[in-house]
Formats: sequence, structure tokens, C-alpha cells
Amino acid sequence: MEDESKELKLTDDEQELLTELLNDSAKLSETGKSRRQFLRNVSAASAAILATQMLAEQKIVAYTPIENVSGASSAIENGVKVVMKVNGAEKSLNVDSRMTLLDALRERLELTGSKKGCDHGQCGACTVIIEGRRVLSCLTLAATCEGKEVTTIEGLAKGDALHPMQAAFVKHDGFQCGYCTPGQICSAVALLSEAKNGEASYVTADVRAKARAIQLSDDEIRERMSGNICRCGAYPNIVAAIKEVHTGKDVAQTWQFAGETGVAIFENAEMNKEGA
Amino acid sequence: MRPFKFTKVNDAANAVQTVAANANSKFLAGGTNILDLMKEDVMRPDELVDVTRLNLTQIKTVSGGVNKGGVSIGGLGKNTDAANHPLIRQNFPLLTQAILAGASAQIRNMATNGGNLNQRTRCSYFYDVAMPCNKREPGTGCGALEGINRMHAVFGWSNDCVAVHPSDMCVALVALDAVVKVQGTDGAERSIPFIDYHRLPGNTPQKDNNLNQGELITAIEIPKNNFSDKSYYLKVRDRASYAFALVSVAAALEINGNKIKQARVAMGGVAHKPWRATEAEKFLTGKEATEANFKQAAEMEMKQAKPLEYNKFKVELGKRAIVRALMQAMNGGKV
Amino acid sequence: MNERIKNVGQAMNRIDGLLKVTGTATYATDYAIKNTAYAVIFKSAIAAGKIIDLDTSEAEKAAGVLAVITHKNAPKLNASGGIRGGALLQSPNIEFHGQHIGLVVAETFEQARYAARLVKVSYEKTDAKVDFEKHEKEAVTPKDKDRAEASRGDVETTFRNAEYKIEAVYDTPIEHHQPMEPHATIAVWEGEKVTLYNGSQIVNGAQNAAASTLNLKPENVRIVTPHIGGGFGSKGGQWANLILAAVAAKVVNRPVKLALTRQQMFNSVGLRQRNRQKIRLAATKDGKLTALAHETTTHCAINGEFVEPCGDCSKVMYDVPNSLISYRVVPMNIILPTYTRGPGKSTGSFALESAIDELAYQLKIDPIEFRLKNEPAKDPSNGKPWSSRAIVQCLKEGAKAFGWEKRKIEPRQNPQGNYLIGYGVAAGTYPARQRDTSATVKLTRNGSDVRSSIELAASDLGTGTHTILAQTAADALGLPINKIGVRIGDSALPPAAGSVGSVGAASFANAVNDACVKITDELIAKSGKQFFVRPTAAEMMASENINEFQTRVHAKPPADADKYSSHSFNANFAEVWVNDSTGMVKVQRFVAVTGAGKILNPKTARSQIIGGNVWGIGMALTEESILDSRWGNFVTRSFADYHVPSNLDIGSIEPIFINEEDTIPNKLGIKGIGEIGIVGVAAAVANAVFNATGKRIRELPITPDKLI
Repeated sequence: MEDESKELKLTDDEQELLTELLNDSAKLSETGKSRRQFLRNVSAASAAILATQMLAEQKIVAYTPIENVSGASSAIENGVKVVMKVNGAEKSLNVDSRMTLLDALRERLELTGSKKGCDHGQCGACTVIIEGRRVLSCLTLAATCEGKEVTTIEGLAKGDALHPMQAAFVKHDGFQCGYCTPGQICSAVALLSEAKNGEASYVTADVRAKARAIQLSDDEIRERMSGNICRCGAYPNIVAAIKEVHTGKDVAQTWQFAGETGVAIFENAEMNKEGA
Repeated sequence: MRPFKFTKVNDAANAVQTVAANANSKFLAGGTNILDLMKEDVMRPDELVDVTRLNLTQIKTVSGGVNKGGVSIGGLGKNTDAANHPLIRQNFPLLTQAILAGASAQIRNMATNGGNLNQRTRCSYFYDVAMPCNKREPGTGCGALEGINRMHAVFGWSNDCVAVHPSDMCVALVALDAVVKVQGTDGAERSIPFIDYHRLPGNTPQKDNNLNQGELITAIEIPKNNFSDKSYYLKVRDRASYAFALVSVAAALEINGNKIKQARVAMGGVAHKPWRATEAEKFLTGKEATEANFKQAAEMEMKQAKPLEYNKFKVELGKRAIVRALMQAMNGGKV
Repeated sequence: MNERIKNVGQAMNRIDGLLKVTGTATYATDYAIKNTAYAVIFKSAIAAGKIIDLDTSEAEKAAGVLAVITHKNAPKLNASGGIRGGALLQSPNIEFHGQHIGLVVAETFEQARYAARLVKVSYEKTDAKVDFEKHEKEAVTPKDKDRAEASRGDVETTFRNAEYKIEAVYDTPIEHHQPMEPHATIAVWEGEKVTLYNGSQIVNGAQNAAASTLNLKPENVRIVTPHIGGGFGSKGGQWANLILAAVAAKVVNRPVKLALTRQQMFNSVGLRQRNRQKIRLAATKDGKLTALAHETTTHCAINGEFVEPCGDCSKVMYDVPNSLISYRVVPMNIILPTYTRGPGKSTGSFALESAIDELAYQLKIDPIEFRLKNEPAKDPSNGKPWSSRAIVQCLKEGAKAFGWEKRKIEPRQNPQGNYLIGYGVAAGTYPARQRDTSATVKLTRNGSDVRSSIELAASDLGTGTHTILAQTAADALGLPINKIGVRIGDSALPPAAGSVGSVGAASFANAVNDACVKITDELIAKSGKQFFVRPTAAEMMASENINEFQTRVHAKPPADADKYSSHSFNANFAEVWVNDSTGMVKVQRFVAVTGAGKILNPKTARSQIIGGNVWGIGMALTEESILDSRWGNFVTRSFADYHVPSNLDIGSIEPIFINEEDTIPNKLGIKGIGEIGIVGVAAAVANAVFNATGKRIRELPITPDKLI
């Protein structure tokens, strides 16, 4: 993973909401408190209503204290003690040998950003980054993660800034339902370093060429992202978002309206200014 | 998934002993297939021995023995690392392409080279415990033989099993005459020529390969060759990416003057093991590298095919894929 | 804050976008609830018959198991309470392979999953009807009045005597919705009240079905579904898993989390049924259609009928004096089919628009010109005037944008290297409707800071509901958008229509707009003042020093809407590259021109159209579910076997919208765009494949084996 130089601008509201969300992440690593606790505590007066309303929606339903019964030792069979770093914070768990990393994240560590789409390595919704590499948490046993550094969608933002890939997904509407999105973004972030390292893909024109940082074509991005299924069909927007971060240049997306006077084309950047 | 003991080991010898001592124990390497199968209750080990931390990941030039000058790939190295290693990309680009044709980036980052060899078939009757399957449960019958066998074998199948081996990597390895290095239960290393590693189903389809319980793949060696500028891995599938092959072809040519000095052709998606197209190879040796000759080689190879009810198309598709892969190989293996 | 910024029509980022990119948007199983137990369903291994014995003893003894629930001990439920597809554990009878026959509840997911494998079931098998080819001839006229035969003129005689005609059968396979979020529920009881965290496209529909099935009052059931991980029709009606979660939670007296596995999704939540469509088309030499017959045969469940309306497009697309639309259906031992994106129109347009292409080719007339020659002045099915009909513009603008003039009428004229390039076009339509919806608007003021909260039991399954409602309210109240909060996805809010059949945006946005107009009226009336220029609600709150104010509306479609025929229309243009050696097809470029009324947010609308196009490309090229007729099971029961399109399958997609002002179907002129995006897509691709290769594929999907 690397920090990209280019920063995409958020609207004020988005930044405000983000700050709320990220403050929580900070608290999470400091105190071990969960996002949910933060959501319960968030003061309605402290954020723009757009932000608070979105948070409030979730606050209403995430109402119970966290005392995770599934973590109780009586329910653990063939227990394995594991200490791993998740989003920079050390986590110590006693897990059932059968527990996958995905279930450990979701059911034990309150990190529900990683999603269970198929549980069999056929969709990519559970993609996380371990030691800099994108992998499937549904096919990784938690027991094998001793000493590993795991980054999930919750750990991508730094300080009060989104990872550029997250911002690009918002800008390019690289999702609809949002369920595959955490996996898509983790996958895309790792893809950036793979490209930088000159790793090849099945559509690479000449794999014999010496590995060096490469500019990926659209088809290269598509092939490298094909392990992340998006049933809403946001693929073209996902490719645009990745291309923008990968190249550091604005990628135009057009909205076309045909009227009596012909087709009017608006570009993304322009519309962003107007719209936001 | 039944409860199992999770066992950590310090070295390969310890790993081999542990698994050899328990008939229902399995190695856990990348986990991309075994966990998938355990969740489906297709495989039910009561112990997994974690070999992910063993130092068997190196890729290096072979310094001695029959494969001197070739490459040795650690059995527990990741598929991604094998595909991208300069020694492989420059000298064995066929292997790079084949690995990259398989699965997804995430899976290739997890899956090990040895594990790739040992992955089980993706036959949906094997995967569905409500269905009969001799491979999963010997004696229950083959669901696919008279069932939906569009994805199944056209070569070497038996009435007991018509499944195909799903690997792409192995198709390139069999074409390149690789050798599998195995640490035995007696501590000694043995070498298995790749072509003998996987088995045809016969009446023991439950055995995918000739590895014994407890034996660990330490490395895969590929002998030096002169195919690097004329090889190509072609994969035909139902969608553009992230799908198993209908038919795949690994093709490699060594040209001397205007004649083929040596041809290697292997196929995936057509048999219980990576299928070495020896008929095609024999025909091509000494011939000119023309489309007409490629077509004739493909005809000769596919003449032996015995398709099932729903995979008759694989005969024609196989011919076309052989020709196309050889043409691409002549074109320098460029996409 | 008084600036009257126009938000509607702007390409704005989703207001829930940040939640989605940070992993903080909550889906059904993302709620951490104290003391939650885990349930795993187990399913029938036969397609027809009954359970004669069920041994749960081993499962019950397994570590961590809290309960094993089967028909033997399940509480009595109201099986006709509106849950689709049965499988509520009320009897030992089996009607399809994979019917739920029980569930295990345990302390952990791992324990529940393991114990579910330990249940031993013996069956008494009866002959199952699972082979469509074999039972097709037993098909009967559907009971559903909407699928009654519709005919005018004399198709038979006209067709028999016609010189130019096409008679062809088009087959589309069983498809599955497979949203990325598998159907899942957390059920939490508090006394007689139950809260169900559960993805629901129709929030109140889920509430009512759950209440009725569980014999509860609707007010005792709360559905919570702020974000839905896709649905595409499968989360419209609700299926047994929702109820089984509630039952399990009741039995173990703890909250229970129940998620279907991906494999279980294939026979748990409906499907798009297999359709065999016979089309007969006749035309004069100069390309005037004279007869159109569209006869569909399909299957439904043994004890439930659903027939997707494949003939709908054929009713309204072309001006043809002799027409016949009919349906036949055979009940089979396959799970109940249900609405799937573009129900009937997507599959029906594949047949109709392929046949149009075939006949145009026979006549040697350009297929766009052929369509233009057969434009109906009014709705041919009922004689009503169109409220608007953008199809001519869609075809013409699309042709320009796509570069249609480069297309050769004869196939195989455009080879490039190892590829054959082809162009195809197809049109489509989907009805525009508004449904009854209530909404509450609340205003609060703190000094000069006025804010609003919009509340209704609408849903957002990725369609952008949150965002378009904020845009609508901001404009209607005269507030900046960052002062608008949107609360949806909760049955405790005012009842609303569902996100189904492209009625969501029109129903929700009109209700919100009405509520905002009403609150402004009420504030003006309350002030007792008269204004030359109508003030905004925001201005009234400030000028009248009001700190809190709210109102609620129940919005209905306009009274006159029924006098017109209101539809969205589109034209789809595909450029395909067919690998001449391998038969693999890539849709390199796709242009979709859509006339769908008011586009509230071009950014999210564009995404919706692209999504529909991707679905259509999947229908054309990759998606197919296959049953083994010996057992009635799906052999394509995973994402490795059932191929939804991957990223590399999709090339460039350019959506274009027609500027369309049509306030007949509803005041805001919204026609809806969730469904129209898939209509006509498969036909455009198949027509392009013909243009590329000369091969006319009438059986989807167009996999490599069909082109070699």
C-alpha cells in the first residue's frame, strides 16, 4: 500500500461526516471501543444534519452493549490463541480453529465492513489486505493470522483524510448497493502497488518484459479487478475510479442529455462543482 | 465443517511426520481449496497442519542434477510470486501466463504452488454432498457421467469419474516437463515427473495424484528449455475472467530454421489430469510452423477424444484452441 | 441559506456514499446485538415427496447447539400470510429440491453449520416434475388475469398469407438474482414485539407478511433496512428465511442471526423462470408490420403461480393491426419464480427484438428504419394516448452517438485480426407508475439554522433513494441539501411503496415533494399573511420564529394518469467482438439511450442504467442455471458455476438520456429507471453477434460453444 499524492476533494458535508467517522476509528484503536459505541454516543448537535441523520439511522438500531457471547470460552472448540494487528491495533483472540478471518473480523472484532458475499472465494466481497497483499478473508483461517498485519476497509483512511481510492469511488459512483464496495476498494488499493511493482496479468501484452511500474490500460484494470464481483454492475465506474487514482489525472465521466438541440455532454469534474 | 485440531509445526520433517501419523490429517497451505471444500462438508479432516510458515518458498536456478540450469519453485511459495519472478517471466513465460489465467489476484496471493497441484476437481457433483460422487464417496456412482457434463472430460475418463483437473498452472507445468520434488515420510526426497504426478480416474477416482499421505511438495523443478520466445497459454471460458476453463491450451515451440525442432502442447479442462497432447507434438516435430500443420496436429490429437452428452463441443473447441495457441506462440506469446 | 440552489437534476454524489466507502453502512447482519445466537438452515435433498423420518439427535448433542427446529416441532404459522414460496416447516411435504426442512441454532456460526450437517433425513420420493422439455406440453393457461390471452385482428390468416415473415422460438434459461448480500436476518424479540433487521425492497410489505405469518399485529413487527445489499426483485416479496429467523429467536429466547449461504440462495428466494417464447412476425415488402404473435410457455411452482410478462413489450412497441399475446404455464417441482430485474420485459424483448432484427434482415431494411416505420400513434393495446414516447429520439440519437451508419447490413463484413466485429440495435420499454406513499417532513430551527428531516418507509437498494429524496426536499423547502436528513428503511416510519417495478423514485419523491409543499402551505396559513412571491418553508420558519414544525401527507398518483399510457423507452446499441477461433464474445462498446422522464440525479441515474446494461449483457452472454432432471437440483449452485459478469466482461458503456418533461404519470414527471436499463440489452447483443458472425443465436446465453 502506498499513499497517493493526489487528493480528491470532498464536499464540506462529506468531510464533516468523514471526520465523525474517522474520529471513531481513532477511538477504536486507542480504547478498543467499537464504531457502534461511537455511533451511540454521537451527539446530534455536533455534525451537519446530513451527517447526523445518516448516522442516526444506524444509531437507532445499533442499540445494545457489546458483550460478545460468541467469544465466550465455553463456546470455543479447538481454541487457538491468536494475536494479530488489525488496522494498526493489536488484537488478541481465542478462536475456534474453524473460524475464518472474515468471521473473526465481523463477529468478534466488530469490524463489519468486510462482507460475506459467498464464503467460498468466488466473489471478493471479503477482500482484506494482509502484509500488503490483497487476500480473501473468507478462505483465511483466523488461526493462521498470528503476528500478521491486517488492513480492512475500516483502516484505509489516514487521519481525517479518506484514502484516495475511497474518495474516487464516491466521486465516480463506483458502487450502488455498496455491499461489494469494501472488498472492491481493498482490492483496488492493493492493485496500485501491484502495478507499481510491475506485476503482470493475463492481459499483459508481453509478460517477458522486465517488471517495472506500469500504466494500466482499462482492460488491465478490468482483468485485475475481476476477482471482485459487483452484481449492481458498477464496473465502468469502478474502473474510472481506479484509473483516476492510478494515473493521478482526472478521469472524465460524461452524462449526456439529448434534446432538440442535440446531445449535451457534462463532464464529471464540472458537474461535481455544480452539484456539490 | 467438522471440528478439527489446528497443529502448528516448526519444520518440514515435523509436518510430514504429523500428517503421516494421522490418516485424517491434512496440510493447510493457502487454504483456498481445502477450506472451500470443508465448508461444503466435501472434505472432513480432523486435523489441519499449518505449513504456511515453512521456509519452502524460494525460486532459484537449479544448480545441479538433471534439471541444472532450470528453475526450482518452492512448494509453499505463492502463485503470484511464481508468476512474477524474473526467472519465470523471462525464461518460462508460459508458466507466468498460465498462473495468471487462473483464479483472481486475491486467490493467487494466497494459493501455493504445491497446493495448486493438489486442488480438487470443481465438478459440481463432487461439491454437492446431496449428489452421488465416486471421488468424494467411493461406490456412490458418478453423478456427471449421465448428468450435466458440459464441463467434464473428453479424454481418459472412466465410468467411475468424468471430472477434470481445474488447474491452469499445471497445464503449463506438464508441457514444460516439470518435476515434483516431494519430501517423503522416511525423510528422503523423491522426484515425480509431472506427467506421472496426476492420475486418470480408473476405478480409484478418489485418488487425484500419486502423493502418499504425509508427503509434502517441497519444490517444482522445470528443466531449462528454448521455448521462451514462442509460447502461449490460451484459456477459453464462459466469461472473460475468473472462470474455470472450458478448454485451455499451453503451447510452446522451438524453431530451427523453418522447422519445428520441438513442440509442446498440453490441455486443460479436458481430462482428470493436465493432458499432454502427445499426438499433436509428435506430428509437429520436424514440420514447418504453418497454420495448416497446426490444424492437422489438432485434428490428430482430438481424434482420440470421447466426448460425453453435453461436452461434444470440446472436440471442435479443442482443435481451434490448439491451433490458436500455437499461432499465438509463433507470434511471440503476445496477447 | 436563502439561496434557491436547484438540486434536482444535478449529478450529485450519493449522500450515503461515505458510509459505503468506509465500511460503515449497515446491512442486515452488521448489527452487533448482545447475546446473539446463530442459525443455519438445512435443505431437502429430493424434489418431491415427503420426509418420513428425521433424526436430529446427533445434531442436538453437538457442542453449542441450542435448538434444532423442523416441521416436527416448529410453531404453527399462517402459511398463507404473504411469504413467498412456502418452506415454512409446517409439514413433511417436499415440493422442490432444496426446500428448507429445518434449522440449527447454536452459540456460534461454526457450531450451527457443523450441526446442520449431522441431521439425518429419510424421504419417501415421488415422481418429480423438473424437466421442462418433458412437461412443457402439460402447460395450461395461467390463473392470473393479467396473463390472459390478448388478441386483436386475425393473426393466423395474416401470418399464413404473408410473403415476409419470421417464425422462431427463443429460449431464455433460469436465472438467479444473486444480490451480493445474501438474504439474511437478525431477529430480536422483546415480549410480543419483534424487530427484524432484514433487507427489504418493500419495507411495509415485509412487515405485513411477517406479521401475518407470525400471527402478530403489524405494529408488533418492525423491519429495519437502511441499506440493502442489492435485491433485483428477490428482496421484494419475502421468503421463508425471514420467518425462520423470527421463529428461531422465539424458540431459543435470544436474538438470532440467520444468513443464507450463497449456495442456498439458488433455491431459497425465487428465480427468473425459463421461458420458451414463440414469435411470429409478418410484414409487407416495404416493412409495415401486419401480424405479431408472442406466445410464452414457462413453469411455476407446484403450489404457486408466477408468470413473468414476456409479452408486455410486444403489446406496446409496434403498430400492428393483428396481434396475439398469450401465456401457458406448467407447475413443476422447482422453487416459485418471481420478479427479476426487468420482469418479462428483459426476456420478452430478447425474443421480440431479435425477431424484429431477423425480419428486417429478411426485408433488407435497416433495423432502425424498420422500427420507425412501425411507430404507433397511440398505445395499440388499449387505444390510450401516450403521455410521452421517446423511442424515435432514442433510436435517432443513439444511432448518431454510436456511429450506426458504419454498420453493414450483411454479417461477417467487419473482421479485425482474429475477431469479427458486429453492431446490433434493440429497443425496449417499461411502464411508468406512481404508487401510494406517505411521508413526514419535520422542520427544526435554531436561530438562523433551519434543518429538515424527511421520513418514510422507503428503501434504497443501491438505487440512490437517500440522495434523490434529499435533493427533492432541499428544492421544495428552499434549504441547502446539507440541511436535509433522510430517514428511510424502517417500518416505524410512514408507510411507503416499494423499490420495485420502477415505482420507487416516482412514489417516494412525489410524496416528499407533496409533504414539503404542504408544510409550506401550513406555515403560510399559520402566519395569516399574504405573499406576492411565495416564500419557502425555511423562510417562514425564520420569519415566524417557529422552532419546530412538521406535517405528513399521503400521496396518490394523479387522477388522470390512467387515461394515458405512460412508459419509459430506450434504444440499445451494442458493438461486439467475437473471437473467431474460440467463440468468446466481448461487448466492447454499448450505448443506451433512455427516455425516462425527469432525471433527478444524472450521476446515480447513469449508474442505474449501466447496472441494467450489465445485467442484460450477463443475460446475453453468461448467465444460465441448469437443473439435473434426475434429482431436480441445480448443478450451477455457486458463483463458480453460475456466471454473473465479471469486470473484464464489460467494455465501455455510454448512457444517454432524452430530455423529457412529462407530468402526466406524476407531478414531478418521474418515470423510473431501475428496470428500463436491462430491457432490450440481450437482443442488442444477440443482434450484434449475428451481424458479426452470421449466426443467429435464439437460446441464451451465447456461450463459446454456440459460436464455434
